[in-house]
Amino acid sequence: MKDNGKFFVGLGGVALVVTYLIWTGVSETMMYYLTPVEMMARVAEDPTFHEVGLKVSGRVEPGSWTRAEDELLHHFTVVDLEDKSVRFPVEFRDMLPDTFNDTDVVDVVVEGRFREDGVFEATVVLAKCGSRYEATAEELLS
Amino acid sequence: MTILGELALWIALPIGIWGAVAGFVGGRKERGDLVLSAEHSVYAVFFLLILASAGIITAFLTDRFDYWYVANYSNRELATFYKVSGLWAGQRGSLVFWALLLSLFSAAAVFTNRAKNREFMAYVVGVLLTISSFFLVVLLFADVNPFERLPFAPADGRGLNPQLQNYWMTIHPPTLYLGFTAFTIPFAFAVSALLTGKLDSRWIVITRRWILLSWFFLANGIVFGMRWAYEMLGWGGYWFWDPVENASLLPWLTATAFLHSIQIQENRGMLKVWNMGLVALTFLLTIFATFLTRSGLIESVHTFAENTRIAFIFLGFMGTIAGACVLLIAWRYPQLKSENQIQSFLSRESAFLFNNLILLGAAFTIMWGVLFPLISEGFTGQQMTVGPPFFERVNLPIGLALLALMGIGPVIAWRRASRRNLVKNFAMPIVVGVLVVGGLYVRGVHHGMALVTFGLSAFVMTIIIVEFVKGTKARASIEGEGHLLAFFHLVSRNRRRWGGYIVHVGVVMIFTAFAGAAFDREVVQTLDPGETISIESPFGHEYTLTYQGLSSPRGENLVRQAVALMTVEKNGRPIGSLTAEKRLYVKWEAPLTIVGIRQTLMEDLYLILENVNDLSGAFENEAQAQRATFEVQVNVLVEWIWYGGFIVTLGSIIGLWPSRGSTTTASRPQTGGKRPALAARS
Repeated sequence: MKDNGKFFVGLGGVALVVTYLIWTGVSETMMYYLTPVEMMARVAEDPTFHEVGLKVSGRVEPGSWTRAEDELLHHFTVVDLEDKSVRFPVEFRDMLPDTFNDTDVVDVVVEGRFREDGVFEATVVLAKCGSRYEATAEELLS
Repeated sequence: MTILGELALWIALPIGIWGAVAGFVGGRKERGDLVLSAEHSVYAVFFLLILASAGIITAFLTDRFDYWYVANYSNRELATFYKVSGLWAGQRGSLVFWALLLSLFSAAAVFTNRAKNREFMAYVVGVLLTISSFFLVVLLFADVNPFERLPFAPADGRGLNPQLQNYWMTIHPPTLYLGFTAFTIPFAFAVSALLTGKLDSRWIVITRRWILLSWFFLANGIVFGMRWAYEMLGWGGYWFWDPVENASLLPWLTATAFLHSIQIQENRGMLKVWNMGLVALTFLLTIFATFLTRSGLIESVHTFAENTRIAFIFLGFMGTIAGACVLLIAWRYPQLKSENQIQSFLSRESAFLFNNLILLGAAFTIMWGVLFPLISEGFTGQQMTVGPPFFERVNLPIGLALLALMGIGPVIAWRRASRRNLVKNFAMPIVVGVLVVGGLYVRGVHHGMALVTFGLSAFVMTIIIVEFVKGTKARASIEGEGHLLAFFHLVSRNRRRWGGYIVHVGVVMIFTAFAGAAFDREVVQTLDPGETISIESPFGHEYTLTYQGLSSPRGENLVRQAVALMTVEKNGRPIGSLTAEKRLYVKWEAPLTIVGIRQTLMEDLYLILENVNDLSGAFENEAQAQRATFEVQVNVLVEWIWYGGFIVTLGSIIGLWPSRGSTTTASRPQTGGKRPALAARS
């Protein structure tokens, strides 16, 4: 293939463009993926973290979900999976997925911004309902 | 029957291993008897996997909840329909299903090549049975045996997730799996070509239909998935940039690149190493997509947190195959030299090459996005993620470049395009594209990227239409046929070329539909019966939906429903009604949102019952439990995706349709090649 100089020019050109697209795409849209404990620690040491896009995974606190009467606005609390004392309120102005509820074990991933008033303003909420998991033999027995 | 199924898996493994060894040794020592034995092993493994699959399905149909897999994915009340699809509802069954389809295609490949292409078959069988055996080893030894018994028999199973209880469940996963597994055949022939040293275009000619078949299933599988998401997920979208969706897109992108680059090899004897690399890459990506779907390695709406250990087994398998392919290609590198080189950037080779590079670029960016959490964690110890904004940003310019090349590639001259060739082919399409953009702008369409997309779509469509018209006219005048007859003959004499153009028409429609999404509108409102929601369509008319109330039909007691009825008016004129619903399957905590869609050519009216203030009251048909929140969307041009998908299917079938006579007649270069590719080289 040594004669195909133009091939490599093309390859190089496309590779450069793709690299540029990935670079700018990543640097402008990437989000930190944190646990609530990590998020609290980060914000404590660096207040600019309130401005950054975050993705946080945790569990919905049972009984914490309220819905505004006449507007699409949800509030609920997310608890850290390990340290149950770490929690934060979430505000979400869109439709929640069907799998979301606050009566059984629901793990959520929220994306958005942790505002300075301590409320997490979510733009995306993903929910995983515990009943979707496969059960072990012991669980099937109960 | 179920016991027999489990036994079949255990018998299939030694036969698969024997056949793989016999294939490789038979090929190496040119022992026809061993090769024949290996081919018989392919049939035997196919038969045994039919038994194994039948065993699993029987266990589902007879409610054998003492099997762990059945207990997890079925219950007594599940419709028969979904009990059968239990075969691919979870990780364990999916692995058997994958192996079954692979063995089906393996048997088909061995059968169709029983009297020809014999010099390839020994290693082809060796490769195919090696892959089958790998799947059998995983099934039997990696804690994912679908025949695993529980120490007790539960009275009932846990049932199938209601989200999967949809007719698409019986269509979408099998179609994708057919696409994934069919690509193993071209891969096996490529490896065989490398091992035997028969490195001309023969292996490509033999497997061209397999490549197209795989591509066809992948394309359909992806479109079916989009349709399922649009009907089911209840948010009006069809693409989520979810890791598993992305993973299924990856082999499709590289297979698309491969379908084009093999034409350069057939016509110009170039890109031999590239094609070997692409076929291996695509095969690896089908494996990647298969295991990602069911591994839980990366969070996704498709993963059901299953056994993650097999992810690492699969990664090891992929690494081994990748390494072997690199070594083989390096070994044969001297024989894979290009016979020609690119003479000009303004040539078909170069357009196809850019198409390839860009498709690979798209695949790379998507792969990067999918693996970014793992990559960033590996390098910085901190997980970072990218989501839909990343994929959309990056793939928009890539998609537009591809769209433009879809117009340029088919008509630009091979080798070096003359000024005349360029003017003759592109002047009118460019004018049409510009006119369309101008016309739309004047009509009030001011979205930049959408305008570019519409303009490029018009450009490509014009080129394709001109090609069809020119071809038909030429044939009509040479053969003295009527235009309609000439058109049919034109297409049937060169199905690959014209089928390909028809596929392009479908793809252009799908691109147009993506751009239409820029004009989508939505309104959210909470209503009591009698109140209305109005939404203005970007086409200027206004829809008014009047809420008639909720009702709960008394059906089977396993499902409870709250159905909202809306009457719809367009500019004050009644045009019918829509229903949307919340459904609760008694055994599952999560309710299901069922949307109402009014489909028309240019736009869909999409109704979502977002919330019922008193859902349990609504289930009991209580008069005061009527207040509900709705989201109404106008989704522009969505239908073009499904029509486009249909046209892609049509074009692929035309390309796949067997030619009269032997397959060797199909081996002539058909895309404007200047010399017979085979005769000159083999």
